[in-house]
Amino acid sequence: MTENVLKVENLTMHYTTRAGEVSAVDDVSFELKKGHAMGLVGESGCGKTSIAATLLRLLPDNAIIKSGQVYLDGLELVGLKEEQMRKVRWNRISMVFQAAMNALNPVYKVGDQIIEAMETHGRVETNQQARQDIEALFELVGLEPKMLDRYPHEYSGGMRQRAVIAMALSCKPELIIADEPTTALDVIVQDNLLREMTALQKKLGMSMIYISHDIAVIAEVSDHIGVMYAGRLVEMGTSEQIFKRPLHPYTFGLMSAFPSIIGPKRELTILPGEPPDLLKPPPGCRFHPRCPYATEICTQEAPPFEEISAGHQVACYHPMEVSLDVT
Amino acid sequence: MSLNMQKESKMKPKSYQDQLMTPDIPEEPLVKVENLSKLFPLSKSIFSESRSFIHAVDGVSFSIKRGESLALVGESGSGKTTTGKLLVRLLEPTKGNIHMKLGDGGNTDIAHLRGGELKRFRRHVQMIFQDPYESLNPRRTIFDTIAEPLVVQNIGDLMEREQRVMELLTLVGLAPADTFIFRFPHELSGGQRQRVAIARALVVDPTFLVADEPTSMLDVSVRTGVMNLMQELADRLGVTYLYITHDLAVARYMSNKIAVMYLGKIVELGETEEVLQNPLHPYTKALLTAVPIPDPTLKRGIPDIKGSIAKPIDPEPRCRFFERCPRADKYCEDNDHPALLEISPGHFVACYHA
Repeated sequence: MTENVLKVENLTMHYTTRAGEVSAVDDVSFELKKGHAMGLVGESGCGKTSIAATLLRLLPDNAIIKSGQVYLDGLELVGLKEEQMRKVRWNRISMVFQAAMNALNPVYKVGDQIIEAMETHGRVETNQQARQDIEALFELVGLEPKMLDRYPHEYSGGMRQRAVIAMALSCKPELIIADEPTTALDVIVQDNLLREMTALQKKLGMSMIYISHDIAVIAEVSDHIGVMYAGRLVEMGTSEQIFKRPLHPYTFGLMSAFPSIIGPKRELTILPGEPPDLLKPPPGCRFHPRCPYATEICTQEAPPFEEISAGHQVACYHPMEVSLDVT
Repeated sequence: MSLNMQKESKMKPKSYQDQLMTPDIPEEPLVKVENLSKLFPLSKSIFSESRSFIHAVDGVSFSIKRGESLALVGESGSGKTTTGKLLVRLLEPTKGNIHMKLGDGGNTDIAHLRGGELKRFRRHVQMIFQDPYESLNPRRTIFDTIAEPLVVQNIGDLMEREQRVMELLTLVGLAPADTFIFRFPHELSGGQRQRVAIARALVVDPTFLVADEPTSMLDVSVRTGVMNLMQELADRLGVTYLYITHDLAVARYMSNKIAVMYLGKIVELGETEEVLQNPLHPYTKALLTAVPIPDPTLKRGIPDIKGSIAKPIDPEPRCRFFERCPRADKYCEDNDHPALLEISPGHFVACYHA
């Protein structure tokens, strides 16, 4: 048994707004083993990015962590002082943001920005050493070292994302969170990047959390998948369990709504309705207003997150018994 | 005689353009585009003599039959959106013709319409844009937004317009209509906004719709609803679509024909399933291989393609795909961009090696 690099227990986070409290993350627990890649899927507003922000403690002022613990290799992060957290951030957990365009400062050379990040986190002894390290990193992510002296606008979208990945790797973290790392990119560039990220992760023995709305992307890069709906984790399992034997009706709905270019052209089914407003989440199971199997208990009490078969957990009173073979 | 013709076509494949010209096509297409080009000037300085051009759309020909929907796919920068904008005449083509059979059945070249004629033409042709957060005016109610084309086209009075808007809201699934009609865009979700944009496009009862990535901003569970709605409307109202998308899986569901664009050129064209199952152009093959598959037990191959898409600034007179093509050779380098030829019935490819 490999040990856990990350353990999240009963994490609950709210945003306070003028209209009231938004329950963005509600009672989420999961574990991530060392060297594994986990995917978090869900639609916009389901709390997947909020979880990432909570793990890194990069939350806006109006966010409150109501309860829960986050253990990184045994070190509890929620209770850490900001000063201590700063040592963890980037050195031990780093993040690849969605909008690589905005993650880089347009008026500084890309190389200088990465050196600055390394300096801030005490990873630079001599400038020359740092320069060599970054050149090696650039080669690792498939960029020419001469690009270090270029400005972000001289990079294409895919190259910028590579530079951001190099930056995330620069302090040799144990865990990288990639939030929609390829969403704005064309398929061929996306394919290339996903391949390289997976290879890097294996080579460096890092742990990864991929966050995406695209189940096909998640299917390709993750060993384990967590499905989120309206701030809650509704299902968790190995990629194969999630894709072949989904238990939660929402997971099943996502799969059947997703068009694919392989296999016979099947009818796409519609999930009725829209995700709820998290200012007033529905009582009980948050999916019940859209669920075809909802019964009275679903409207009253939130279902517990239980293990149904080895490593496969679901929060549903009426888990499905289906076996999907996409091909 | 038919045997003879078959023989002939086997010996020398007919170019796509030739076929457009042949009079034996049973039904005249609704939209017939010939040699369409749009160049955008890149002026380095106002005094510079030699001007460069971006060849956004470069000699494109295709036709769409009534009730058919054609998907235009390709990477960003391939000229899909420019083609769409030319067809609704938000842009004026640099060269080429766009014949459309609209309204009273006349066949007009709309490529250079102006003024009143252009306005009358817009009654038959509408566009749905990608981002429903940008395409709706936040200060106008849903009623104002949907009724706008009626106002511009001077159709009906206020009562009639309100009735028409209610009708359309119900049609696009925003029911009960009276609870939506006087709301503002910020009160609606992304999916609902895109439904409003669809209603606005349909309010003048157009014959032809250009949809530019209408679902790419929407979440999966909402997206399917909008996709199904658009298909249902096509069947019910007989609308013909040009569906622009970068997502091949979406194109599979939304079209019966597909055209793959690369740097302003159509490189492959055919029935959707045929092109997806049996791609012939190396670019189409690479695109298809690169699409992630929602099945962790399957492993895709590695797309066979070099580098990344460049800007078509004064392109060399050879195959546009030359730099990235795994099969490019001396012949490709020395010859012009290959013509779009019919390789098997209805399946056209622009490649010397297909």
